[in-house]
Amino acid sequence: MSKIFIIILTSVSVMVPVLAQQSAQDEPVDGPKTRFSPLHIDIDSGRQSLAAYQFELKVVTGWIKIVGVEGGRHKAFKEAPYYDPAALTKDRIIIAAFNTGRDLPTKRTRIATVHLQIIGEVEPEYELKLIVAADEEGKEISAKISYEKGESK
Amino acid sequence: MTERMQHFDENLDLQVSPKLSKDLSALFEPKHPVPPEVDRAVSDKIHRHLVGIKPLEGKRRRFHWVALWKVAAAAAVVIFAFSLDLTKKPEPLTNRSVLTGAQATDIDLNGRVDILDAFTLARQIENADHIATKWDMNGDGLVDHSDVDIVALAAVRLEKGVL
Repeated sequence: MSKIFIIILTSVSVMVPVLAQQSAQDEPVDGPKTRFSPLHIDIDSGRQSLAAYQFELKVVTGWIKIVGVEGGRHKAFKEAPYYDPAALTKDRIIIAAFNTGRDLPTKRTRIATVHLQIIGEVEPEYELKLIVAADEEGKEISAKISYEKGESK
Repeated sequence: MTERMQHFDENLDLQVSPKLSKDLSALFEPKHPVPPEVDRAVSDKIHRHLVGIKPLEGKRRRFHWVALWKVAAAAAVVIFAFSLDLTKKPEPLTNRSVLTGAQATDIDLNGRVDILDAFTLARQIENADHIATKWDMNGDGLVDHSDVDIVALAAVRLEKGVL
């Protein structure tokens, strides 16, 4: 009898972590609601031209996964910026871009759009930190970074 | 005895005649009465003999246990194999991911590797300035945009952490 118990216990202890890992990998089928929403990132560099930027975005409330990153509106930052591919499917990302040209944006400009999968009913809140912004000479400038939530789908 | 026999085969007349019974008793009756010690010794021997047979049964049981363990182990292996999701293809090893692993350098010497290092290197390349060979990040003998990519990707790497 005790041997049966040991076998069952061993089997369960082997199978449960494996199954738990598998279920964690899978998308929730009947789990919480998910929707997709863009998060637009703007930088206001005032009168100074913006040639390079780097910022970090992370979620402080809610449950999201980053699914993609898109460039900005101004042609200097239209291309997809640099980011760590490991950030995809996570809730934290560092994004950066630069342009060595002379046609650079000033004032408030959209530099990137982060596409998010929002899981659950809780409306996510984000923390955005501008690590560095620089002008065409590569000199650090003061600038303000902000985000705007896009329409969910 | 008779009742049992009748129970199994009622039509068969197995009754022994009293004479035959008497003759058989006379023939096989022990000449001396069997002492209880001998009876006990015989029964002990029988018991030991039967106990001696048990290991066979034990082997069979052990065999069942071994079989059960094998089944359990096989089940665990099958479940583990399914959990690996072998249908998932590995991500293509792009140049970018290779570059991310390379070591980047603080080019503008501001104490950290950020996008300004990549920006500085890109400007040097575009202005065709004298570029130190030490900025050849990927060791291909050239300082070009692939080296800029290495620095930029090092700047955005999550592992280092910023906030």
